[in-house]
Amino acid sequence: MFLKVKNIKFIKLFSFVIVVFFSGQALAHHVLGRPAYSLNEDSNTPPSMQVETQIGSYFVTYMVYPAFPRAGERGRVNVYASRIDDGDSYGGKMFFEVKNDVMFGDENKELLGTQSIDDGVYRQGFIFKEDGDYIITASFEADGEPYIIDFPLQVGEGSSMAPVLIALAFIVFALISVNVLQRRRLMREKIRSVRNNESQSE
Amino acid sequence: MTHPGLPEYWAFVVWGFMVLLSIGLLLKINFSRFSFLNKKTISLYQIKFVSPVIVFLTQSRWLILVLKLVVVALFLLVIYAGLMGTPVPERNIATVLTWNIWWAGLIISIFFLGSAWCAVCPWDTLASWHVKPRFWLKKYSLKINNSLEMTPPKWMRSVWPALIMFVGLTWLELGYGITTSPYMTAILSLVMVVLAVISLAMFKNKAFCHYICPVGRTIGFYSQLAPVELRPVDNDICTDCKTMECFTGTELVDACPTQLVMGRLTQNTYCTSCGNCTQSCPDKNVAWRIRPQSQEAIESAKPHWDEAWFMLILLTLTSFHGITMMEFWEDNLRKFAQIIGDSGQLLVSFSVGLVLSVLIPVGIYALAIEITRRWSSSSSGKDLGFKKIFTSLVFVTLPLAFSYHLAHNLNHMIRESVGAGQLFLNPLGSNVSYSGVADQLLIKNSMLLSENNIFILQSVLMMFGFWIAIKVLQRRTEDLNIKSSLHLLPMLIFIVAINSFHIWMLMQPMTMRVGALCVVPASL
Repeated sequence: MFLKVKNIKFIKLFSFVIVVFFSGQALAHHVLGRPAYSLNEDSNTPPSMQVETQIGSYFVTYMVYPAFPRAGERGRVNVYASRIDDGDSYGGKMFFEVKNDVMFGDENKELLGTQSIDDGVYRQGFIFKEDGDYIITASFEADGEPYIIDFPLQVGEGSSMAPVLIALAFIVFALISVNVLQRRRLMREKIRSVRNNESQSE
Repeated sequence: MTHPGLPEYWAFVVWGFMVLLSIGLLLKINFSRFSFLNKKTISLYQIKFVSPVIVFLTQSRWLILVLKLVVVALFLLVIYAGLMGTPVPERNIATVLTWNIWWAGLIISIFFLGSAWCAVCPWDTLASWHVKPRFWLKKYSLKINNSLEMTPPKWMRSVWPALIMFVGLTWLELGYGITTSPYMTAILSLVMVVLAVISLAMFKNKAFCHYICPVGRTIGFYSQLAPVELRPVDNDICTDCKTMECFTGTELVDACPTQLVMGRLTQNTYCTSCGNCTQSCPDKNVAWRIRPQSQEAIESAKPHWDEAWFMLILLTLTSFHGITMMEFWEDNLRKFAQIIGDSGQLLVSFSVGLVLSVLIPVGIYALAIEITRRWSSSSSGKDLGFKKIFTSLVFVTLPLAFSYHLAHNLNHMIRESVGAGQLFLNPLGSNVSYSGVADQLLIKNSMLLSENNIFILQSVLMMFGFWIAIKVLQRRTEDLNIKSSLHLLPMLIFIVAINSFHIWMLMQPMTMRVGALCVVPASL
């Protein structure tokens, strides 16, 4: 169903910092949460990822099951949204989309489905054909304002050695820079000593 | 999943012990008389059968090289598994080896071996291999130096950078949740290596180990409580020494990475146990020796302002580690997040919790110091000064932090390392399932120590921490010429309060760091 995603999670750290520090206003209606992983000690069922969050006038809880799905494995997202002031559940439609979790390149956004409330919960199933990093977006509109909730989802095992290459590039760059500076320093010392010798001989 | 807490009866045993010692302190009983070795140190070179082994261990550069190779191999495995393996933390060797075994075991190793870890640290080893590789051929060596050898700027020559790094690491570990992410664990490992390389490429000696590394400084301060030290065999030889190879190095052996002069060495704080001094000394005058546990913190370590803050914040962050693994933490964090309108990963709420957890004990300590200062100055007529008392008495925090750290880590080590060996067969955790009830049963039945033994050890450790803290208080106040028992009361209350809080935390069910390790078939 989806294209294989190039795993470039190394930029997540930077994007995370940007999200935390530079999205104060956007936080009101747009949430990028990294759900907490918890084990269920009462059963052998796979654990889920769950996050509770406040956006705008709503208190939203979303749950991804299983926490770490594999390609070809059936999973689902449950979203609960209730008003902060009176606790009333949101009753309109909720849209679920998915896109590749990439900083650059093709996001390949696709609609997963549109869901109506069912027993106070919005349920959206999914099956990923290929491993990779995705972002599932749940969105709805209330009081004329859009509400968007993003949550990243890793499907399958990691597959990128890119951070190692970046680290090596840093190290090589540092060593080359140091070598260049050292050569310059040596050259300066050589020139200085030659000049000193010349001035002494004069 | 959670671990069961310390039973009440064990907690009461520790509290009873604390009450007795507190009364003893106020009655001016001299606790230094009850020391195991009573100020005696034993040079391992002077023990007949141990001596040849110690000589081999300290003089052989091959042994340490082999150990470094093993540790580097494991470190590279962590990075590979973190990047390429399963995201399920308890099934990936990256998270298990880093957080359950290394991070928990490291603190336990200090109790016996001091700063031995620093000698084989993969961050520094990889940095040295990149920047200052050295090749030996019998008695010759070729050293390549790719460092600018700059002197670190003045602001950097303290433990403040390491302290900032330590707070940052705690935030990443507990706030961002690196411990439950194999991928981020691998990224952190890479970042530390890059930092070590850049530091070594820019500055002379090992500025990273000396000033920046949060792990190295934590080990250094805790090593004041260790029963081992590298010291001169004969002080007179050091006094007469004109060449100081331990400080300058030789053709074959590097200089001391943290610029210590063996003849003047009185504390372990900056010793990385690298063994350069034992190899470079032409008189073979440097040796490992055994000393009374914690002797350094009790009497010989010198107080410094930046180091005092490191020790104090080390205590607060150690307690904070425990707090975040309590069940009440999550509930209260959510409630607080609702009040301030925090959302997503609740990082703002977490950061506020972190700051409060640091500020509250620091405030209580500062208050205890200020009361001590006022009382002592009003009775003696001489004001010792806040800073002097603050830096002198801060050593009480070391045993309190260390004992709780050990007791807390015992849970992680003993309970969560069950089945760790199997992870080496499948380090990437491919095709294994999550942990569940089956794992919990396996953990309970195959722990290295029985649950009751863990509780006994935890109780003993908490008593040990309190005992050492009281001895530190007694000795350091003597040095400050604070004689009245009443004047010890504020600090005694501080020690009792912190240790009691730690015991209370040990009594609570504790959340696992990365979950159970037992590898169960996917069908389960």
